[in-house]
Amino acid sequence: MTESDLRIGVFVCHCGLNIAGTVDVESVAKYAGKLPGVAHADHLLFACSDDGQANIKQKIKDLNLNRVIVASCTPRTHEPVFRACVEEAGLNRYLYDQVNLREHVSWVHMDDHDLATMKAEALVGMAVERAKYLEPLERKAVDVIQKAAVIGAGVAGISAALDLANAGFETTLIESRPTIGGQMALLDKVFPQNDCAICILGPIMSKVGQHPKINLMTYSELDEVEGYVGNFHLKVRQKSRFIDTDKCNGCGDCATVCPVSVTNDYEFGIAERRAAYRPFPQAVPNKYTIDKRGTSPCRIACPAHVNVQAFVALLKEEKFDEALEIYRKNSPFAGSLGRVCTNPCQLDCERGKYDQAVSIKNLHRFLADYEREHGEVKVEPITPDKKMAKKPVAIIGGGPSGLACAYDLAREGYSVTVFEARKEAGGLLRWGIPEYRLPRDVLRDEVGILKQMGVTIKTGTKVGSISELKEQGFKAFYVATGAPGSRLMNIKGENAKGVYHALTFLDTVNSGKTVTIGSKVAVIGGGNAAIDAARTAKRLGAKKVTIVYRRSREEMPAIPSEVDEAENEGINIEFLATPVEIDVKENHVSSMKCVRMRLGTPDDSGRRRPVPIPDSEYKISVDTVIMAVGQQVTSDALLSKLEPSQWGTLEVDSVTLETNVKGVFGGGDVVSGGATAIEAVATGKEAAKSIDRFLRGVDLVEGREEILTPIEDIEVDDLIKMRYAPAMPTLSMSKRKTTFGEVELGFNEASAIAEAERCLSCGVCCECEKCVEACKLDAIDHSLKDKIVELDVGTIIVATGFKTYDPLETREFGYGTFENVITNAQLERLTNAAGPTQGKPKRPSDHEIPKRVAFVQCVGSRDRRIGQDYCCYIGCANSLKQAIQLKEKFHDIEVTIYTMDVRTHGLGYEGLYRRARSMGVLIVKGRPSEIEEVPSTKSLIVYAEDLYTGERLETTSDLVVLATALVPNDDTPELARKMKLSTGEYGFLMEAHPKLRPVDSFQDGIFLAGATLGPMDIPKAVAYGKGAAAGAQALMAPGVFYVEPIYAEINTDLCFDCDLCSDMCPYGAITGKGEERKIMFELCQGCGTCAGACPHNAIDMRHYRRQQIMPQIMAAIKMQGGVVL
Amino acid sequence: MKEGKFEPNIVAFTCNWCSYGSADLAGISRIQYPPNAKVIRLMCSGRIDPVMVIESFKNGADGVMVTGCHIGDCHYSTGNHRTEVRFEALQKAMKVMGLNPERLKLLWASASEGQQWAEGIIEMTEKIREIGPNPITGGVMAK
Repeated sequence: MTESDLRIGVFVCHCGLNIAGTVDVESVAKYAGKLPGVAHADHLLFACSDDGQANIKQKIKDLNLNRVIVASCTPRTHEPVFRACVEEAGLNRYLYDQVNLREHVSWVHMDDHDLATMKAEALVGMAVERAKYLEPLERKAVDVIQKAAVIGAGVAGISAALDLANAGFETTLIESRPTIGGQMALLDKVFPQNDCAICILGPIMSKVGQHPKINLMTYSELDEVEGYVGNFHLKVRQKSRFIDTDKCNGCGDCATVCPVSVTNDYEFGIAERRAAYRPFPQAVPNKYTIDKRGTSPCRIACPAHVNVQAFVALLKEEKFDEALEIYRKNSPFAGSLGRVCTNPCQLDCERGKYDQAVSIKNLHRFLADYEREHGEVKVEPITPDKKMAKKPVAIIGGGPSGLACAYDLAREGYSVTVFEARKEAGGLLRWGIPEYRLPRDVLRDEVGILKQMGVTIKTGTKVGSISELKEQGFKAFYVATGAPGSRLMNIKGENAKGVYHALTFLDTVNSGKTVTIGSKVAVIGGGNAAIDAARTAKRLGAKKVTIVYRRSREEMPAIPSEVDEAENEGINIEFLATPVEIDVKENHVSSMKCVRMRLGTPDDSGRRRPVPIPDSEYKISVDTVIMAVGQQVTSDALLSKLEPSQWGTLEVDSVTLETNVKGVFGGGDVVSGGATAIEAVATGKEAAKSIDRFLRGVDLVEGREEILTPIEDIEVDDLIKMRYAPAMPTLSMSKRKTTFGEVELGFNEASAIAEAERCLSCGVCCECEKCVEACKLDAIDHSLKDKIVELDVGTIIVATGFKTYDPLETREFGYGTFENVITNAQLERLTNAAGPTQGKPKRPSDHEIPKRVAFVQCVGSRDRRIGQDYCCYIGCANSLKQAIQLKEKFHDIEVTIYTMDVRTHGLGYEGLYRRARSMGVLIVKGRPSEIEEVPSTKSLIVYAEDLYTGERLETTSDLVVLATALVPNDDTPELARKMKLSTGEYGFLMEAHPKLRPVDSFQDGIFLAGATLGPMDIPKAVAYGKGAAAGAQALMAPGVFYVEPIYAEINTDLCFDCDLCSDMCPYGAITGKGEERKIMFELCQGCGTCAGACPHNAIDMRHYRRQQIMPQIMAAIKMQGGVVL
Repeated sequence: MKEGKFEPNIVAFTCNWCSYGSADLAGISRIQYPPNAKVIRLMCSGRIDPVMVIESFKNGADGVMVTGCHIGDCHYSTGNHRTEVRFEALQKAMKVMGLNPERLKLLWASASEGQQWAEGIIEMTEKIREIGPNPITGGVMAK
């Protein structure tokens, strides 16, 4: 359009005095009139009024204006109004532009009217330049899907969903909790009429649950949302309850038997719930849920994956046999390993991060001992399956690995025979570990479990070859013959008399044979074998026993408690020393030459390598030396026929444990070269898995792995009281001196239960499966998984609510420290008949009804110190209501409310205030400065000042209730990011306009409702919900939505396929290559980022074209009002 | 117009959702600031082609402000990420152009941060007053 064709109309608005008070609007209009292309320039009092708009329309028609500029308020408010106005006069709505003379000029430059007017003129000049290049554009219509989604099923979301559904729109209602009802369902009474909250909400909740047009998805969360107005595509994650909701009838049998208790968030932390639970009796849907966070770290850390959390939980509930049963699902060694295990589980115990890890080993030891003390060790025999009996399994080696393998196979129904060369089974548990650590009968009884199950154990039988067993009919084999050989130090004098190797030494003692031991014994090494040898030597009468270890205490691999006990028993440990030669006199040990060591750089194991210090040799006088420097595998006829590894151990596949011979598997020390008992048990179990698959002809690898999901964020209650594990009672020193009586005596019942209570229940549900047994409808399935459900909707309403401020962050007014300081929300649960105290407001410390109650208002509200300086809207009314409740039930109770101001706005609340005062509730204007606890009564002294009288107050209260703030939910920022919503100053979601568009977000098609926008009460939340529903319906009903034609376009002639643009688009709107490259207008949201990037100017953006922006920039630079350069 | 006094001439690019909104809020809150910046409204700060900034300086702007939403809050999710990258490149270009890099300012302001908008303008105006007019053209309001 040439300049001569342009007929621009400029209308400068006074906006009453809002603009005219600062800017000389007449002058601006005059200035505009002189600009080339401007056919009409005038000023109006109120451009947006009927009058003003009529004037504009008239001028368009009369003067044939083909561009219109209104210089008035911010376009963010009235641009749509004026666009519609010009359209009505026959002018394309995109030939209109608006200049902001109010928010950007008159309101912010009130000091200098001249400069303000100059700026106004310049801005109008800029708009005129841009107007020259504006083009008519047509809005495109997109189809609107006639379905809606409501995220959040509190009272706002419920109201929205019902209105939408009643209007005929299929609505999906998504709620993250297992029940709908939000915060309102947890309240006792609601002001001002003091109706019972759940009584009025309950029927509405039922309606939602039964409505044919409402698709209710509870325990579900929004994973992802894509698309645009009218066409949103949602991915909703429906979390697994591990209960089939079609079968569940809400009977609660699962919760009754569930042993795990966690803090109940629905009671705001003042009560507990089980892992299997229902939030409250009126839950909709009325189904139970199992809260399972993952596999607890202890179970993952255990090489055999014993379900630690489950047996600890059952122990805590005093269900000792059920707890022992859980352990025994894994192996028979609860008592044996309960004494000698190196407990890797305890290293990962979450409790260990706070005070001390739970004493897991001693707890399953307790369970085993309890069984022994209250009867006998008894298990049910297992008759092998007839089919499986045709495939008997031979296990060579009756140590922990072989026995664990036999155990698992027998439980599967296989016929198993264990061949043990020694006269008694048990491996190193029997022949290596001293009796004072593991009494013979404990081990014997646990090995006996296998016999009771039907496993045949042939002792005194050494196996020469696999083929001899094959001849006997065995079909699969497990080689677990251990590493009973001792590693040599290879120093001079090693084979003198008086020099022993630990394994041989311990074996001899454990065989009941005598060993000659001198009076000055040196034990070389720092592992458990060294400690065992040293303590054994002491018991055999050695006067002086010294352990010589080449590294320092921190690097010692031995169990720390064993090292401590060794020192308690009078054994010395010389660190950072190692023998280099043993002096021999008359073929007997006479002394030992040692050299001092220092720690150098770490070796392969990660431990620092000891390096000898030159010229540091010294002698120690000894008559016996016991070397404990490691195990090795001894080669024999059987092993010689199987493939060895480079270290002389048995070579097996790392996953299947198969040797080079098919059907022959290996594990335990013979493969590892010397590891712990629990690791041996773990490999035995893996071998059993392989053998079972081998005999069934199933693939050995696929699907064999046990699925254990680590927990990402272990939730721990902030109020843990530090408490350490009970001390292990031990045998007295005098008794220990010469006997091999058991040193660690074990926890008694009370200690064990108390210790089990320290468990944090990391996984919440521990998969003990008591619920599965208890459910008569077979509704529980622990293998159920989360489901992703995809939805297509036209509009979305976000009503995700709020949470209450937790004063624990600042421990204000003693919350978290003093037992009898609680919050409004907690008091609400105490007065609720369905709450933990059946409606009696019993105070936490002694469960007595308080005689004097104090409310402290504005905790976390109107507080600049924590950046929460807004009013919580409901605090005053809530406390007044609760005060009235207390007074009604207990006439003599003294209630004082400490306020900053009493805010009882609107209808009904002033009446509440008067009623409270008439009942004798004292209202003090003055916030407490401090609250102190009286230690004997746990009552509280409230220090405050009455600002009206100036009086200092010091009043004692039995219970203090804090009126806490309402704050955004923790996941609001993430939700805002997913849906591209803005958040306001305090983190709440932000509406498009605080006055005129309270339920609209900045995204077309997404509406906001309820307390997710900010603190509000129930009627307001309901109104917002219904308002959002109305907005959504207004958008969906016409069936089409007009998309703003502000989108990018590409000129493929200029494009040279650098492809910088397509990656840049967050909406994936740019597709194709070369001639085919195009921008999909439906997806393009009009940001212009691609246009800003294109190095060849091939992309341009409609209504924000380069040719429209550049003149505007030039005008901005050149025009300084009045003067055009 | 004050005779002989240098009045900085600043071009401020804003995005429709955040920074334009913060300017509006400054207005609603009646926070006063100097009138030296002229706002150009775009849908997103990502629309700003670096050429626009360079042309601004070439033609005599004393200062240029690139404003938009805070990182992570962009209405179009990643537009302002690109703006940030382009701004860094432009800063380097300032030296090549022989211009004091302080003439180019980046301001992230959310729609609820009216105060920050005003402070940004005040700071920028003061700074440009200090540095003086654009040396390329001698400035519009040179003494």
